Amino acid sequence: MNRADLCSRALAGALPGFFVAAAAVGLAVRLAPGSWQAAIVPGLIAFAPAWIAAFGSAFLFAEARRAWLVLGAAAALGFALLHVVVACGWAS
Amino acid sequence: MKIAAATLRRFTAVHTWTGLVAGFALFVAFYAGAITVAREEVVRWHASASPDRVQTLDDAQRLLDAVLRLHAEAHRHVGLLFPGVELPTAVAYWQDGAGTWQYATSDDPYGSPRRPLTALTDLVDALHYSLGLPGVGIYLMGVASLLYGVALFSGVVIHLPKLVEDLFALRAGANLKRLWQDAHNVIGVLGLPMHLMFATTGALLCLMFVFAAALDPLVFGGRLMQALPGALDTAPARAPAERAAAPAPLALWHARAIEAARRRGVAGFEPAYLKLDHAGDANGVVEITGRAAGALGAQGSVALDAASGALLAVQLPGSRDANHAAFAAAYALHFGDYGGDAVRVLYVLLGLAGAFLFYSGNLLWIESRRKRRRLRQGRAQVGMARATVGVCIGFCVAISTTFVAAQTFAAFAPARAESGLRLACFAVWAAAIAWAAVRPPARGARELLWAAALATAAVPLAHGLVSAWWPWRSAAAGRWAPFAVDVGALALASAFAALARASARRARDGDPHSVWADPARRDAAPDVPPAL
Repeated sequence: MNRADLCSRALAGALPGFFVAAAAVGLAVRLAPGSWQAAIVPGLIAFAPAWIAAFGSAFLFAEARRAWLVLGAAAALGFALLHVVVACGWAS
Repeated sequence: MKIAAATLRRFTAVHTWTGLVAGFALFVAFYAGAITVAREEVVRWHASASPDRVQTLDDAQRLLDAVLRLHAEAHRHVGLLFPGVELPTAVAYWQDGAGTWQYATSDDPYGSPRRPLTALTDLVDALHYSLGLPGVGIYLMGVASLLYGVALFSGVVIHLPKLVEDLFALRAGANLKRLWQDAHNVIGVLGLPMHLMFATTGALLCLMFVFAAALDPLVFGGRLMQALPGALDTAPARAPAERAAAPAPLALWHARAIEAARRRGVAGFEPAYLKLDHAGDANGVVEITGRAAGALGAQGSVALDAASGALLAVQLPGSRDANHAAFAAAYALHFGDYGGDAVRVLYVLLGLAGAFLFYSGNLLWIESRRKRRRLRQGRAQVGMARATVGVCIGFCVAISTTFVAAQTFAAFAPARAESGLRLACFAVWAAAIAWAAVRPPARGARELLWAAALATAAVPLAHGLVSAWWPWRSAAAGRWAPFAVDVGALALASAFAALARASARRARDGDPHSVWADPARRDAAPDVPPAL
């Protein structure tokens, strides 16, 4: 464990982790029953814990690189899903 | 549960760094927040010297009429606190041409930027959510809330392997570090649901609009900001009709709001304040917010047509959408506003326990870096000890001094209270930090704890001298709000005195190889380890 490793993980948690949380909240709000406008505040409440959990998870991986890979892939997958959901008209 | 040693070390580093960065801000947030829970009691305590006459709705009507007659800007938007809810008098407020909020009462319908009667609670509240820094402070506190969440996440992971077996352990033996570690863990774990809730709602209340602005283009296709007012307000947005129509009487709005709540099964709805848009216009809208006892998220509101008093929309417990229910619940959970006085007392205690969590975290950081055979400790440890003592205990001294100053200003210079209290608070806090910076930590801690005990004991004294409402008189007259503040201050003062005596004992008799040992013992003894 060294400082560069910790900083790299923290960045992975802060940047890709942010997009993971954004995609998760986005999916939950857009797929919520009723219109998405009706789930704005629950979504905003959920965002901070989602981001914190994504940030913390970056320190669970065996290597910093894997944290970047997994969180980056999760973010990409999340936004891809969000686009599919919106494009197919499943989202409100 | 088993966790790899390397993972534990990583999370320990994360826990340490988040604690170092956010711990001081969180100490301030929790200590000031514990007082903010008792906001209404503190307002009444502060106003003890002025007569208790509670104004009526007629007084409020006269104030609203005067403000609308005198100030053209108030027609666009004006707010009004109903008398006898939070404050005994009605208060009207609006933004002037420059965007500055103006506050008016019956005594001063022309208004000024000074809020009446709440200088003390406003300062404590501002310290709670923004460290008292205008502008950026609220965002800093929002970031501190996020870091607090990360500290909780990492703290739980570190503690997980021993969480269950150590849960009820408080080992008060010879190993003092063990005792502090146990106390830190037990408060962190038993208080965990509350801490997670504070990290979440604190980040929400500070950063909601930042989150919304960031998520808008990412997941809402740029339509979120437009939808946000509808998710937060009760009254529908209406453009002015540019046609004059006299507003209905205030008493009618008040009665209609209570009636609308009663018809939805909410008994005992108590209007606290109103927001009036486009006053005097045919499309004027009034939104009345109040509390309904017996609901999680007691805040609810009723929107009426200002001219006719016709019902436009309601957001009340039991009949509101997910947005309003979620926000009201988050707000109520954050401020302990859901279970009456018992829950608020619990919140005050949990708030003080939370402050202790951050204080003990810093002490554990110093202890884990203690050089066991060295009388002279490292610079980082001494610096951290000084900063912890100066910032944390100094803040307690500053808050109590501000309470004393509040009574003094109320008696001698009420017009200067706002700037005077700020000056008293920050000057005393800065002086305490400076004092801790130059004194050996063991002595600085003891001296500032005694200063905190004296300043806090002076709180009921100043109150009694200025208003003649001594605690026993308050109790005899059933004025429980000021009584609770006085008694709470006395309890805190004795706690500070006990801590001062404990740290004096520790400096005299404890292990000399520590920043908390009296330096006289270090000078008397040679800096060599004793033979084993």
